[in-house]
Amino acid sequence: MTFLMLLLILISLACIVAGQLLLKRAMESTVDRGFRQRTFGFYISAGTATMAVSYFLNLGLLQQLDLSYLYPFQGLTVIFISAAAAILLREKLTPMLIVGSLLITAGVVLVSVS
Amino acid sequence: MSASQLTGLRNPWLQVAISTLSVAISELFQKRGAVATIHISEAWGWTGLTTLASPLVWLGMLFTIVSFITWLYAIKHLPLSVAFPASQAVHVLVPLSSWLILGERIVPLRWCGIALVLCGLALVARPVAELEEKL
Repeated sequence: MTFLMLLLILISLACIVAGQLLLKRAMESTVDRGFRQRTFGFYISAGTATMAVSYFLNLGLLQQLDLSYLYPFQGLTVIFISAAAAILLREKLTPMLIVGSLLITAGVVLVSVS
Repeated sequence: MSASQLTGLRNPWLQVAISTLSVAISELFQKRGAVATIHISEAWGWTGLTTLASPLVWLGMLFTIVSFITWLYAIKHLPLSVAFPASQAVHVLVPLSSWLILGERIVPLRWCGIALVLCGLALVARPVAELEEKL
């Protein structure tokens, strides 16, 4: 487990978060303007490409690390996505939502390590 | 249009459920397909490409596509901070169906994790129920 591995794991997680935010933006743009417009095309391709990067980074990491080591990091995406949605998309986080997300994260980590 | 006005198949919550269920189903098909194609080639097995010989893997891909499209529809109408945690139900569905359908074993610690995810899902679902009532 080197610093480089940790960095790659973080980049992979960041790509998942960025990908979901971009997909969300893409779909939001269709509410008023439909699918045949530039904004949708840009965000949907950027989102899909970012998700693809995280997918292949993950496969590469799997060649080096055990699945049981790598997988628990996936649980962290819930926290990062909720935080990013609150900050960048101005979504409202209720205390209930925060506690629920933390429980899900803890649960996913437990399911993955066991 | 608010999420609660979309009924029937257009209900975004139903689409989150279909998306999550599709991920779980595709995992099961892919696992079955991957196991069924182990014998084909030892040299190429690591690429994952030999699994394409199994129709189950293709069926799995179909469900992956369904999950992606239904997910896009869902996040068009729902906040990401609610929809994404809800989609993590897949971490309950996959171990449970591996246990029931594939006959894999679940260790006690994993049962605890499943219980925690379920508690979290219940909490995440509650603000949603309140939100829908207000509308």
